[in-house]
This record gives sequence, structure tokens and C-alpha cells, in this order.
Amino acid sequence: MTTGSLLAADLVIAVLASAAWLGGGAASAVRRRPLALGLAAVALLATLARAVTITALARAGWWFAAEKVLIAAPLSLAAVGVAGPRLLRAPGDIRAVAVPLLFAGYATSSALLVTVLHGYPASAGAGLLAVAGVVAATLISGRALDARPSRTLSRVAVVAAGAALVTGTGLTVASGAAPGVPHDHDYPVARIAAEPTRRFTLTAGTATVNAGGRDVAAWAFNAQVPGPELTATVGDVLEVTLRNRDIGRGVTLHWHGYDVPNDQDGVPGVTQAAVRPGQEFVYRFRADQAGTYWYHTHSASDVGVRMGLYGVLLVRPGPVTGLDVTVPVHTLAGRPLPAPRVERAEAGVPVRLRLINTDSTTHRYALAGTAFRVAAIDGVDLRGPTPLVDTAILIPAGGRYDLVFDAPATPVSLFVDGRAVYSTGAVSTVTDAWPVLDPLGYGASAPVPWSRFDRTFTLVLDRGLDLRRLLPRYAHTVNGAADPDIPPQVVRLGDVVLFTIVNRSQVVHPWHLHGHHVLVLARDGGPATGSPLWLDSFDVRPGEVWKVAFRADNPGMWANHCHNLAHADAGMTLHLLYS
Amino acid sequence: MRKAFVAITALTLVAFALQFILAAVGGFTKPAGDDAYALHSVNGMVVIPVLTVLTAVFAALAKAPGRLIGLAVLPIGLVVLQPLIATLANAFTDASGVSTPLGLTIGGLHALNGIIAVHVVVGVHRAARKLDEPVPAGAGRLLTPEGEPA
Repeated sequence: MTTGSLLAADLVIAVLASAAWLGGGAASAVRRRPLALGLAAVALLATLARAVTITALARAGWWFAAEKVLIAAPLSLAAVGVAGPRLLRAPGDIRAVAVPLLFAGYATSSALLVTVLHGYPASAGAGLLAVAGVVAATLISGRALDARPSRTLSRVAVVAAGAALVTGTGLTVASGAAPGVPHDHDYPVARIAAEPTRRFTLTAGTATVNAGGRDVAAWAFNAQVPGPELTATVGDVLEVTLRNRDIGRGVTLHWHGYDVPNDQDGVPGVTQAAVRPGQEFVYRFRADQAGTYWYHTHSASDVGVRMGLYGVLLVRPGPVTGLDVTVPVHTLAGRPLPAPRVERAEAGVPVRLRLINTDSTTHRYALAGTAFRVAAIDGVDLRGPTPLVDTAILIPAGGRYDLVFDAPATPVSLFVDGRAVYSTGAVSTVTDAWPVLDPLGYGASAPVPWSRFDRTFTLVLDRGLDLRRLLPRYAHTVNGAADPDIPPQVVRLGDVVLFTIVNRSQVVHPWHLHGHHVLVLARDGGPATGSPLWLDSFDVRPGEVWKVAFRADNPGMWANHCHNLAHADAGMTLHLLYS
Repeated sequence: MRKAFVAITALTLVAFALQFILAAVGGFTKPAGDDAYALHSVNGMVVIPVLTVLTAVFAALAKAPGRLIGLAVLPIGLVVLQPLIATLANAFTDASGVSTPLGLTIGGLHALNGIIAVHVVVGVHRAARKLDEPVPAGAGRLLTPEGEPA
């Protein structure tokens, strides 16, 4: 069982335990004896099962179990400790156990709410608020059921609930307000003086474009989705003039995966101001990395990219040999792009398929009809890639894979989520059951270039209640905080930095650090055994723990965020700062 | 206070009906996307929870019998369960985010739980109206002072 399914199972069992305790309490209040006893038995079993799941989660990593061990376990023990003995004595009037059973229900439900609303980091504040809630709810239930406890007991309970409420609130408020990134700083300026050798102009504007045979409203660069393919050869100096015709939310250009100087990175409010309608901004940088990249707006990025403000950036090492095909996959207004393309390929011609996922979720790619090698991931060549047959590939949001093969005499076809997107003829292979390539074990290994790390950071990804805004929101959080309240990670030029990225949530988070490629060291404790993987976009699935490292060699202030852009919008963005 | 109790249960019932309509709106929105259920989410995670809590509070203030207060509290639990079930249904997807039979089964429970919650709210509303009806003289406490119209 993976840690991800363990997290989900633990949640299901916790819900079951709470519901059974509360149901048992309600049943005994209306004197339904067999029902009450049955539900209490279910609750006890679920509590036992939870002991197993919590232990397993603690073994997988403290991050997954902290609040369950520190808050849920004591509350569950209190539940069993209070309700259990009363049930064993099995009073003649079952109504007498209603309040103990309800107490057990309130205890387990409040622990569940802690996990769901503010699970990480486990905090004394959340624990005390949970206790206050349990005592208050039990007192009210006792009154409603006319099961009046002794005066002393109820006074003690009122005082305890009040103290827990005040202390818990105090701790919660005091722990707040971490300094975010200063947004009123001057933008960096380090323009390169070299004369541009490749010039492009991109004009962003609303447009109507054809997607899957239908005209749909889009936001487009030069009235096309995707925007123009920008190509260059290593050594070129690119100059791209960005104009905004009528995109009210503003636009910028972020060169996804291209490790440009900080002032060219295109993050509004961090490296430049958003380009408003009627304005323009000129980007200039040297194309010194060959490979498959893409560009997109970073202003209102979720809606902007979804509506079509993206395009391909290709940097080739030299002249094209053979067939060089780009497949930028996108979902525009619910319709898959690009349109299927069929072209003939002479047998023996070398083919390079550049697969790009510009969506916010993972896509599955399958190349049928030929053996192939994965030559590069995220623009960086792999070491010693071996031929693959009948193997599917999962590309995270923002990620790129280059597949190479020599065209066979028979047709080949590339399927994306089962849809033929590029082919050299009709292929009817069913690819659904193919195994998926694990890049961590693919290709020839090489030693990690560093033996020690100057800075280590842990990023625990979760969901949680964010109360630091006008309207509370259920945010996607990093270490329990949401943008703009996540403290920046500060490094010095030349530091070797280690990130441990932990996904405690129920959804995939495609992680993307700007300005740097990171070297994958390990996943879930198992080291990467294949070719060195220098990635800029990688899926951290529920329950996974990734260790990645990089050398801090590109000074500036860099966004470090989830590339499911809706998650980034909902708080999952922080920054890497050079001191 | 009993009138207010009736009114708040009626409002809750309307919010629940609206919730089913908004679910249909989400289901039939083309192109489908997470945004399609935005209104369903807001109604379900803000409006309905507030109304169900108010229902329980007004049941207590209206001095309803214990059983009715219990019945009025029940929807709070069922409503809290709804987003949890939805999250779990989305959690059981395969690596490329496609639904699995287990995920869809859990997703089905979201609808089932919703139907149960509506039934409970209907029950609370009926009981609240009964509570508000003047009891025939001699059969119990008088709700209005003598000599005044009810």
C-alpha cells in the first residue's frame, strides 16, 4: 500500500469512527439499544484500525503522522477511555451512555477537523482549540439530554474549555504573520549588452481560435494558440518584444525551464511589473542551453495559460537533421490541442518528438509502432538512454520529454491520453495497459557532484484554512502557510541546496523552481539509480517524499511553486532569495 | 423564536434545493472543468454550513424537545462530510488524473449523503412547523396569551 492510499484510507477510517460514535450517541439518546451498541462496536473497531494506519504513516515519515500522533491519538484514547468502561457496565437505561458516546464522537471529529483544516505543522494552538470544542459540545449535549453532572464537574469543564479556547486562540494568532516577500522592491536590472541575433515580437490579445473544430474565445500571442514557435541556435542572443493589446489582467513572459538571468524571468511583482494593455516589455537573453522549453504568461497565470497565452521555445545545437516535431499538448476550452497530424516519414529517417505538457495536470503519452529512447527530459540530455518498447510516459504539468527513434518502414503513432496526436500512418495498438516509465531508474548513472549541502529546506505540501485574508479560504499550503505568508528560502551564491519535498495532501503537486534545474537524488527513501535527472518540473504524488538538490548559481529572487497553476493561485507559491 | 426556527429551516431547505440545481449546472457546463462547480462549492461550503448551524441554534433557542435538537444538529455533520467525500473521490484517481472505479464509488456516496441530508432537513422543517402550530386548548401549553388571535 502506498503512503498516498494510506493517507486516504486513514481519512476514511477517521470519518467512520467519528460518524459511528456520534450515531451511537444519538441512538442511545432515543433509547435504541441494539443500534447504539452496534455503532459503538463499529467505532471501537475503526479506532483500532486507525492505530494501524497512524503507525504505518509515522513509519513512512513524521510529516504524515505528526498531528495524528500528537492530537488525534490522545483524543481517540480519551474517547475509548470515557465511552468504553461505561459501555462495559451496560446500564439498564441505554440513555445513560448517550453523553459519553457523544463525547467520544466530538473528540474524534475534532481531531479529524484538525487534520483537514490545519494538519501540518501540528500545533498546540490547534490541539487546544479542538479540546475546547469537545468540552463545549459535551456540556451542551449534557444539558440538552438533561444528564446533569455534578456542579463541580461542570464548573471544572467550563473553566477548562474557556482556558483551552483562550490559550489556543492566543497561540494560533501569535504564530501567524510570517514575513512574506517584499513586493515593493526595485526590479533587478542586469541587461546583456550583446546585439540580438534573433528578434521576435509577441502581441498578447483576446482572439477567437479554432480548437477541435470549434471556434472558441481565447487569449493568444499573435492571435494564435499556441503562440509562435520561437527557435534559436545555441549562442544566439534572443530579443523578444512583448506587447499587450487588451489583456486586462496583464501579461509577462516566463521562459519555463530556461535558466535566464533574474530580470528576464517574467514574474510580475517579483522580477518586473506586469505589462498592462498598451504597454510593452523587451526581453533579451543568450540562448546557451540547447533543448525543448516553452514560454507562458506569469500574470494571472492560471487563467492566462489556460486561455492560451503560451508557446514553444526551441534551442537547437545546430542545423536540423531528420524530422524534428514539437507536440505542445494543451486543453483549450475543454478541447485537446494540438489537432492530430499525419505525415509520411521515409524509413531510416531520424525522428525527434518533443513532447510538452502545457496543462496544469499530468498527461500520459504512448508511442506505438517503434522502439524509442528518451533523449532528454526538461531540456537536459540523459546519459545512456536505452531503447524502450510498449512503455508509456507520464509528463508532469510544465514538463518536456524528447523521444528519438529512426522511422521504421511501418507506421508509428503517438497517443496522448489515448488520442492519436502525431502519426506516420494508421496504428490501431491499444496502449492503455502499457507499463509506465520510471525516469529515476532509466539510463546510465553518474555520481552526484556534491557530497555535502550548505542549506537544507523541507517543503511540506498540504491543504489548510488560511485566515490571514479578508475572506478565509481553503488554501494549498507549504509548511502550513499560503502565499504571500510563506517565508522565503534564503541562500548564498555558490551554496549547494537540498530540498526535501513532502506531499501530505490528496492531490498531485507538479513542483517547479524558477531559474535552476534540480538534480533528483531520491524518492521515498530510494535513491535515483538511472541517468542524472536535471528537472525543472516533477510530479510529487500524494504520500511521496522527493529529495532534490541544486547549486545556487543564478542570483536573484525566484518563484518556487506548484505548476498546477490553480494550486499556485490558491497559495502554493514561495520564493528563493539570494542574500 | 419558533417562527424564526421554522423560517430558518425553510431557508435551509431552499439552499439544499439550490445545491442540487447547482450540481446539475456543474454537470452540464461545457467545457467541463473545476470551475463548473464553483457555485456548488460556495453554496455547499459557506451558505449551507452557516444555515445548518443556525438551524441547530434556533432549535435550541426555540426550546425544541431534545430529539428535535438532535435531528437539527445532524445535518451539520452530514454537510461537513460532503467536501471530505468529494476530496476522497478525487484522491482515488490514477497517475494521469483519470477516475478509478473506487473513486467513482466514493463519489456516488457524495450524492447519497446529500439525499440523506435533505431528508433530515425536511424532517426538521416539518417538526419545526408542528412545534409552531398552536396546540388545542386543554391539550397542552398555550402559545398565545388568552384573548389574542394566534
